[in-house]
Amino acid sequence: MKAVSQALAGIGQYGFWVRDFCRAVVIHGPPKGQTLNEAFRIGIKSLPILLIISGFVGTNLALQGYNAFKPLGGQRLVGMFVSLAGVRELAPIIAAAMIAAKAGTEMASQIGVMKIREQVDALEVMAVNPLAYLVAPRMIGIMLMLPALTIIAIFVMLSAAYTVSVYQLGLAGHEFIQFAQESIEPIDFLYGAIKAMIFGLIICTISCFFGFNCGKGPEGVGQATNRAVVTSSVLCIILNYFLSELLYGGAL
Amino acid sequence: MLNTLATIGQFGNFAGGVATRMIRRPLFLREVIAQLWTTTIRCFLPVIAVTFPFGMVFALQGLEIFRIFGAERMLSSLISIATLRELSPVLASVLVAAQGGSSCAASLGAMRIKEELDATEVMAVDSLKYHVVPRVIAMTVACPLLNIAGSIAGVAGGYFTAVHVKGESGGIFLAELWAFMGPMDIYGGLIKTTLFGLTIGLISCYHGYRATGGAAGVGKAVNDTVVHGVVAFISLNYFLTSALFGSVAP
Repeated sequence: MKAVSQALAGIGQYGFWVRDFCRAVVIHGPPKGQTLNEAFRIGIKSLPILLIISGFVGTNLALQGYNAFKPLGGQRLVGMFVSLAGVRELAPIIAAAMIAAKAGTEMASQIGVMKIREQVDALEVMAVNPLAYLVAPRMIGIMLMLPALTIIAIFVMLSAAYTVSVYQLGLAGHEFIQFAQESIEPIDFLYGAIKAMIFGLIICTISCFFGFNCGKGPEGVGQATNRAVVTSSVLCIILNYFLSELLYGGAL
Repeated sequence: MLNTLATIGQFGNFAGGVATRMIRRPLFLREVIAQLWTTTIRCFLPVIAVTFPFGMVFALQGLEIFRIFGAERMLSSLISIATLRELSPVLASVLVAAQGGSSCAASLGAMRIKEELDATEVMAVDSLKYHVVPRVIAMTVACPLLNIAGSIAGVAGGYFTAVHVKGESGGIFLAELWAFMGPMDIYGGLIKTTLFGLTIGLISCYHGYRATGGAAGVGKAVNDTVVHGVVAFISLNYFLTSALFGSVAP
């Protein structure tokens, strides 16, 4: 019972925090010259990890698709399976989970450390609004970079799946490409980018919220980082269902 | 480049130290059970909260494809295979890395910063044996247990969307659930998650145990744990899947 009321209190605090943040951005505006820095740190630094992860997800998608369709004699459909599952669902969610794990934890721990070293209070003393100064550049950075990373993830995932299906599973390359081309539509990339932007919004606000509400000492920072990554990845995956239902489920 | 190699070497050294201490007595059984309990309880809700929606999405997208071929019957057998083989092991392990691994790194890192680990050593208790080995064992055992819960939740999520949202027949869903399932599908997921749990446990304890430089160091340890843990087990996953489910061209 206590846990439930604590969770509800947390959600309420988060709502108030987001309101304060919006107000601060409207009044003070994002600081100049920080955004590109943050975008670099979020996007480029996460790129190698994203490449590795999405490559291996693509290989596994091909392997499992092959296994699933083989009993039916439909190995040729691997190209379609990989491109539909990869482009529509896995690439946005993998990119979001990786950014939550890399950039989200970094945000939470950086802001948490600033909080316990009272650097946040120092900002306020200097009449700089910490919400606008610290959070807004990260928000713009992540919302610029995550759609781009998602598109890159799609490309890497499909290339890895192609490599595995042609060289390990011995399927015909031109069939793979043909089925992939038939099943992907240009609008899918736009939907992927929309999903990624919403995930970026969630990851940034959740991670910065936990950073700002960090407890005392090293454990506090560790705990805030831990909670940030778990909450943001769980929320992204739950929200993904509703976004998919909205974008692909025939509601539009 | 050289630094990366040095880190890998240090990690191997650390893993070797943990492995030898795992075999030798005494084993702090009470500590192991306490860690296992907290890890499982902490990760249980996040794992369910992730695999259930993923099963739902799978049903949503799968149904759309199968309707093209008029093969809606096949949906449930595909969901169960995909969930047991791939989705649930990977998602459960991601959550174990994010929740269990990072909290393990955070607590070990805080102990290191506060010199509690040194205090343990001063009292002639082997800190690797007392603090690290129970955590690694707990993570190795908790990961397959959570995978079982995640598989059930994933299939339940698929059932929910297919039957209650999209109006497929529930009887056909349940009847076709085990159509292509073999024993290897069930064991395969468990073997995979055991190895993933071991990897995550070793990586998180390595980063926590070697944390330096105050609160920022703990934050960095947690960050590195999640990133390295996920990268390590996803790349391991490819080779395990190839080996376990035998997907090499004849």
